[in-house]
Amino acid sequence: MSDLLAARAQMGTSLAFHIIFASLGVGLPLLLCIAEGLALWRKDATWMTLTRRWTKAFALLFAIGAVSGTILSFEIGLLWPTFTKFSGSIIGLPFAMEGFAFFIEAIFLGLYLYGWERLSPRAHWLCSFPLWISGAASAWFIVSANSWMNTPTGFQITHGQVTGINPLQAILNPSTPYETTHMLLAAYVATGFGVAAIYAIQILRGKRESYYRKGLVLAMALGAIAIPFQIFSGDLSARSLADLQPAKLAAMEGVFHTQKGAPIKVGGIVDVKTGQVLYAIEIPDGLSILAHENPNATILGLDAYAPQDRPDPTFVHPSFDGMVGSGFFALLIGGVFWLLYFRRKRVVPENRLLLWGIVLAGPLSFVAIELGWMVTELGRQPWVIYNFLRTQNAVTTAPGLNISFAIFSGIYVVLAITLTVLLLHLARSPLPKQEWPVLVSSSSEERGGPK
Amino acid sequence: MTLTYTILIILWLSLIVYAVLGGADFGGGIWDFFAFGPQAERQRRLIGQALGPVWEANHVWLIFLIVGLFTAFPPAFSVLSIALFVPFTLAVIGIVMRGAAFMFRGQADDATTSRRIWGRVFSTASTITPFFFGAAAAAVASGQVRVQGGVVQTDLLAGWTTPFALTIGALALSLCAVLAAVNLIVEAQNSNEPELVEAFRRRAIIAGAITLALDVVAFILSPFQAPLLWHGALDHALPLIIATALIGLGAAASLLLRRYRLARVLAFTVTAFIFASWGLSQFPYLVPVDVTISNAASPPSTLLALLIGTSIGMALLLPSLWLLFHVFKGKHPALNVQEKAVEPASTQR
Repeated sequence: MSDLLAARAQMGTSLAFHIIFASLGVGLPLLLCIAEGLALWRKDATWMTLTRRWTKAFALLFAIGAVSGTILSFEIGLLWPTFTKFSGSIIGLPFAMEGFAFFIEAIFLGLYLYGWERLSPRAHWLCSFPLWISGAASAWFIVSANSWMNTPTGFQITHGQVTGINPLQAILNPSTPYETTHMLLAAYVATGFGVAAIYAIQILRGKRESYYRKGLVLAMALGAIAIPFQIFSGDLSARSLADLQPAKLAAMEGVFHTQKGAPIKVGGIVDVKTGQVLYAIEIPDGLSILAHENPNATILGLDAYAPQDRPDPTFVHPSFDGMVGSGFFALLIGGVFWLLYFRRKRVVPENRLLLWGIVLAGPLSFVAIELGWMVTELGRQPWVIYNFLRTQNAVTTAPGLNISFAIFSGIYVVLAITLTVLLLHLARSPLPKQEWPVLVSSSSEERGGPK
Repeated sequence: MTLTYTILIILWLSLIVYAVLGGADFGGGIWDFFAFGPQAERQRRLIGQALGPVWEANHVWLIFLIVGLFTAFPPAFSVLSIALFVPFTLAVIGIVMRGAAFMFRGQADDATTSRRIWGRVFSTASTITPFFFGAAAAAVASGQVRVQGGVVQTDLLAGWTTPFALTIGALALSLCAVLAAVNLIVEAQNSNEPELVEAFRRRAIIAGAITLALDVVAFILSPFQAPLLWHGALDHALPLIIATALIGLGAAASLLLRRYRLARVLAFTVTAFIFASWGLSQFPYLVPVDVTISNAASPPSTLLALLIGTSIGMALLLPSLWLLFHVFKGKHPALNVQEKAVEPASTQR
């Protein structure tokens, strides 16, 4: 493997690993906040048991997210020193702000995780607010930096030097509203359907306690509320590309030649040599309507760009379709679930086909996040900073990147396996006695400890 | 330039806080490694209790330092990333394995193989990071990282493998051990564990003696291997260095006199002074001698935005941080109870 490819592989693997935990770090605190709020409001031991269980899982997931995020913050420099040199003064600010948001999340996680006995129930619940707010804020800041890589603004190049830097304009670049909204919603969709999948499995296995049904209902509420907004935001995102990054849109849809009345190609195998998408289902004029609301609108193809400036659609197109497909599948499952729920007078549906659908929608929502990032990142190639810095010019001169890639891949495999084993162990451990006094009596409210 | 120095001081303060708090956490791992005998499990439990609520927050100072350097001094960040690729990669591996293993160990059941293995990983990984960060810092301070025409001239294995750098790596390790030990003494006091107080007092004294010995070695080596640092120190950091030495003696004395809270304060202070002396000694260079503070700094618009952002961030951060330490680091009547939250199967003795 060439050093460039090894660096890209290592960065890609790290991001693909981290994004799972980052998404859960955004979504799970919101579930915790709602569940604990319901527990305290209704004095409901089941909601409290759910909160406690989720907290234990979240502790593990957050730690892995924190350390894998640390890898990334180093890798930006270690693998792409030219990128950091070029971009630090322009786009470093959101990274610093993300640092603060992450800081606050880590602090309140410590309080939340270890504070059950040291804080009053209400104070403990209040700690979940900074958790989910700062989780969302860190996602926003980091994704705004990625948006800048796609549509860089807030600086000029004069005589080969970066001048006129405006960090605020860089953060609020044209892609920021689309990308940040899409990622935040993605985190809620994936967390919702992901958690729901766990309880769907349990119900399929014949568990009938209200613990499982409550877990399923809350998670499905989060996922099903987020998914229609997510599809809407995805549509806006795709449209924005027609203006901001037509090359990426062309790669996503497999448009090789500039044409009027371009179709949407669903599925198929991209053949770069012949410039065709084989076996695709075509929706005539679809892309022109989607991008410009006009069936005759012209869509730029990859041939509008010099060969060295074209992204490779081989993986971008199927990734895009996979993401969209997963999204619509989640929408269908969420819709059917709530339809049945309300038609049967608020009884959790136990239709096996539907439950299996939920089991599938969980992992697919995470797959959709991975594929979405593949589209964003591969679709931006050959640039790391669109139209300003090529990926091949940003890579480090340090040798032996293959070794580094191998080591980090090994670490990710070990972490993933151990984490899975521990989470399964946690899920299988017997439920504690779900009685309100048992769960809350040890709190310092009655003992009169500090706070 | 005022703006540049303000940002630089903020970043250097973050480095100090990371060294003190993060250092004590890594040191906890070192003492976990050396826990043996009938007390071993109780020592490990105390270490886990001390780290549990705070290690992730303490770790973020490093993240802030990295992104701050990236924003305010991008060329320096780039140069360091290239020249110190190997020690930084190893330090990151240490960070990852330390954090993950700590959580994995906490979730595993008592007395199982997986708990033993992850415990070992935790303690081993805790020794990796301070050593390589120390060696990397020494490579910078001793002027081994050279740049010409924007191109880094240093080989991958040069700079951080000199006797001086290796000594500083070991020094960083022993300093972490001291910080952790004095901190654990106070934690043991708070938990009413007099035997553990004695055990960590002995460990603090041993680690302190080793730190002193390594200091002497580094002192002897520095005129030859880090002349720039040596001259800088004599030139404009001498009062600070003398103060550092005096505070170090004070820390040792208060430890011997069993004034543990004072010893902890002084040990933390001496660490801060060591980093302040280093910073002052290599002034006005960021990466001596080819990258200076002024030629690496981002333009004023960036620095001002960073300063404003940092002020807002700190205004939210510092009260939160105070709350965290107030809740977990004060005296508390309910001993060890918070351990149950993470280690459900733990047996108390």
